[in-house]
Amino acid sequence: MKKRLSVLLVPALLAGLAPPSVPGAAQSGVLTVKDSLDRTVLVPAKVKRVVSIQAEITRLIVALGAGNDLVGVDYTVRLHDHLFKHIYPEEARLPLVSMAENNVNLETVISLKPDIIFASPFERQIVEAIQQKTRIPVVALASLGNAAKLAEEMRLVGRILGRERRAEELAAYFTGSLDLIRERLKDVPRDKRPRVYLSFWGSLTRTPIHYEPVEIAGGLNLAEKIIPDILGSVGTMVKIEQLILWDPDMILVHGNYLPKERAVTVESVLKDPRLASLRSVKAKKIFYTFGFWNWWDMAEVLLETEYLAHLFHPDRFPEFDLGRRGDAIYKKFYGLDDGFAKLSAILRCDEWVHD
Amino acid sequence: MSIWVKDLRFDYRNFSLHVQNLRFEAAKLTSIVGPNGAGKTTLLKCLCAILPIARDSLFLDRRDIALLSAEERARLIAYVPQEHGSAFNYAVQDFVLMGRAAYVSLFSTPSAADVEIAFEALEYVGLRRYAARPYFELSSGERRLVLIARALAQKSDFLVLDEPTSFLDPKHETELMDLARRLAVEKKKTVLVTLHNLDVAVKYSDAMVFMKKGGVVASGRPDDILTEPLLESVYEIKMTILRYDGRKFIVK
Amino acid sequence: MTKKQRALGLLIVLFPFVAFFVSLSIGVVHIPLDGVLKSLLSPIFPSLKQGLPENYFGIVLGVRLPRLLLALLAGAGLSVSGASLQALSKNALVNEYILGISSGAAFGASLSIVIFRQSFPPQISAFVFAVAAVMIVLLISRNSDSPIVSLLLTGIIVSAFFSALLSLVEFFASPYALQGLFYWLMGNLGWPGWGALSISLPLTAIGTAGLILMRWRMNVLSMSDEEARSLGVNIRREKLLVIFLATLVTAAVTSVAGIIGWVGLIVPHLVRMMVGVDNRRVVPLSAAMGAGYLILADDLARSLASSFEIPVGIFTSLIGIPFFILLLRKSKRIWL
Repeated sequence: MKKRLSVLLVPALLAGLAPPSVPGAAQSGVLTVKDSLDRTVLVPAKVKRVVSIQAEITRLIVALGAGNDLVGVDYTVRLHDHLFKHIYPEEARLPLVSMAENNVNLETVISLKPDIIFASPFERQIVEAIQQKTRIPVVALASLGNAAKLAEEMRLVGRILGRERRAEELAAYFTGSLDLIRERLKDVPRDKRPRVYLSFWGSLTRTPIHYEPVEIAGGLNLAEKIIPDILGSVGTMVKIEQLILWDPDMILVHGNYLPKERAVTVESVLKDPRLASLRSVKAKKIFYTFGFWNWWDMAEVLLETEYLAHLFHPDRFPEFDLGRRGDAIYKKFYGLDDGFAKLSAILRCDEWVHD
Repeated sequence: MSIWVKDLRFDYRNFSLHVQNLRFEAAKLTSIVGPNGAGKTTLLKCLCAILPIARDSLFLDRRDIALLSAEERARLIAYVPQEHGSAFNYAVQDFVLMGRAAYVSLFSTPSAADVEIAFEALEYVGLRRYAARPYFELSSGERRLVLIARALAQKSDFLVLDEPTSFLDPKHETELMDLARRLAVEKKKTVLVTLHNLDVAVKYSDAMVFMKKGGVVASGRPDDILTEPLLESVYEIKMTILRYDGRKFIVK
Repeated sequence: MTKKQRALGLLIVLFPFVAFFVSLSIGVVHIPLDGVLKSLLSPIFPSLKQGLPENYFGIVLGVRLPRLLLALLAGAGLSVSGASLQALSKNALVNEYILGISSGAAFGASLSIVIFRQSFPPQISAFVFAVAAVMIVLLISRNSDSPIVSLLLTGIIVSAFFSALLSLVEFFASPYALQGLFYWLMGNLGWPGWGALSISLPLTAIGTAGLILMRWRMNVLSMSDEEARSLGVNIRREKLLVIFLATLVTAAVTSVAGIIGWVGLIVPHLVRMMVGVDNRRVVPLSAAMGAGYLILADDLARSLASSFEIPVGIFTSLIGIPFFILLLRKSKRIWL
């Protein structure tokens, strides 16, 4: 998966450097697009009706202001995305088009007459099958935890939906804000970067082998690439003894789980007798962070990266305030008022930083 | 030490057994004969309570079998099946030792005394030398003897053998029936045997029971009850009884 | 018992103890033997703590000791359960999961995670449904002419039923909610802490002890029902007791450690190959052998790679299956 995305990255970057040209020719009402599976898809130049069964893209579409183009919604967004009904309240009236990744109700989709379907690229056969059976162009996109790809995705979708300006605005804002963080951390030597362990997916021993927000925010993921990335693996299980041996400066716990669904909490880590000798436990440097979820929302990624940057290097980001930045970012992306308050009602992230 | 079948009924789907007022004499060998499907094996299994029976139908030593616990029954009456099939190839001595199950409590293992009794039983049937051999390495005749040894280890007064001579050659058949007689005469056990071979039955039995279609047709000493009309009515073919050397032989 | 069998028996009994103490020294953090001993004794003699690096106790007492104890008891329990059920069903190919325990436990855990979220430990639900699965099997196969065959068949059917229910739960649940379950299904001895073990270990020990006490009885129960009855055994009661104890053990282990397959099948076979089929030897020696076997498998699981860990259930299968094929080919007449 990642290899294919890097193939997309190069031509997409080059294309992005020369606005507003389009990869391939725009022939009489048709746009040629290359998706994350390296498929070439012909998309109508004017797209008015959209079905997205990729939660990440759904949020992106709403951020672009194209929410009204959505004619159907998928189960992840309807059932598991608790913020979405605030971001786009009108989703309640949209018909449900899928119950699971490979359980798309094709008849419903066809009857909605969309011009395009956005899908996730995780199973090629499903993507091909949907396109074949519905005869509607299917574009499979996912950023897979890569900020640059996320920006490119934003631009691509913006191009498809005729919202290039807005896409450019958001992508530039996103990339620019991240660059600002990188800039401030430019001269931080490696040994001043906190060594961080991430406990993800509801288990103390499961950890991602690559997590960009930590990297951009000037931290070191101890589990970085400890297993080779060739199989597109995202995480692995480490041994507890290894964790004890590493003795990280900080432990981050997966916070995107609803509080009552969290198998691992800050309290459970602090109370775990096996970890009593760790310096992060003694210094109580155990915090929540958002972490991977069914979508990689640009707003959330940006907020998380700034939050982590402040956590790792408070001297370099003294002015950061989670609540204010949260409100500002969600306002920018979704026009949402009290965005952070709404998010906190779900994840209680207002309790995350205590200084 | 007698068995009294007062009023025994057992119903399968297509077959019913009904035996009334039948006595088996103590310390004697009684053979139960009859055509296939007469209910001989069913009767045996009821006697050993392998099949469930009603109260007030069967009495061993004037005790109602249906009221006894499994252990008490096993100490009174032992069953020797025709064959034993198993997934596990136990050593002969361990196999015979299982006969002590009625005397060993649930969470214990057999005592040295139990082991001794098992060896004695093996000795009696003449297979002591095979004690450590795996059961299925023995010939079928020897395996039969091991089954009898196991029943002997139960130290019961009543012994029931189901077709013990089937598939045995004449020599082994004779040896086995000699053993059965010895058990009745020497050890004073009440022995019941189901047999196909009428000549053998006549030769070894103190008493015979003829069964047909789930009921008893005749019972008593062979000299008294063995007649040609009886044989014809039971087996539905003509047979002749010959006398030779002071014994009766049956010719079909 | 031949001399050779006696010697083998002794080795088997010593095996788990040696494995246990050696394995206390195995791990990512290198702790020398005296460090291990001091850490072990430090709760009783606090003075031993002086001069010892701090993470030693956390590792020896908090990480390795519970894990090895679990491996010891789980290995013993699963092996004894397997051996008992093999005797009962007169079939050497039966394993401890045949009555539906693994599927019931998996379903129970998933249901708990989805309904109660994390406010309720999923182990309890796993245990309850594991036992429920067996009870359903017993209820369904109760009135039948050939009880053992129908028991096994019903076990397979009930297993399949709970698997289907599990799939249903997975279908409706948020993909992230059941993440932990996926790994639990592969069997992991390192996750349960002392809290869960304080309940699971005693249950396992009790059940295993009960089955070991019944070891001679199993010889008798491995006879045909007719023969067993004629030998004076109340079959129904005693079979139920064996099944109850085996279920107690297997459910207690599975609910905390996940599904660790093939132990109850391989170990009794191995033991029978070495010392014969008499359950007076097979059952207790299976306990010893199983304990050592699982400790070894767990050692492999946690030391094969330097930083990450492979679930032990994968190892017992990867080792177990080819080994089993080898056994089948080599064994001429262990049994029939």
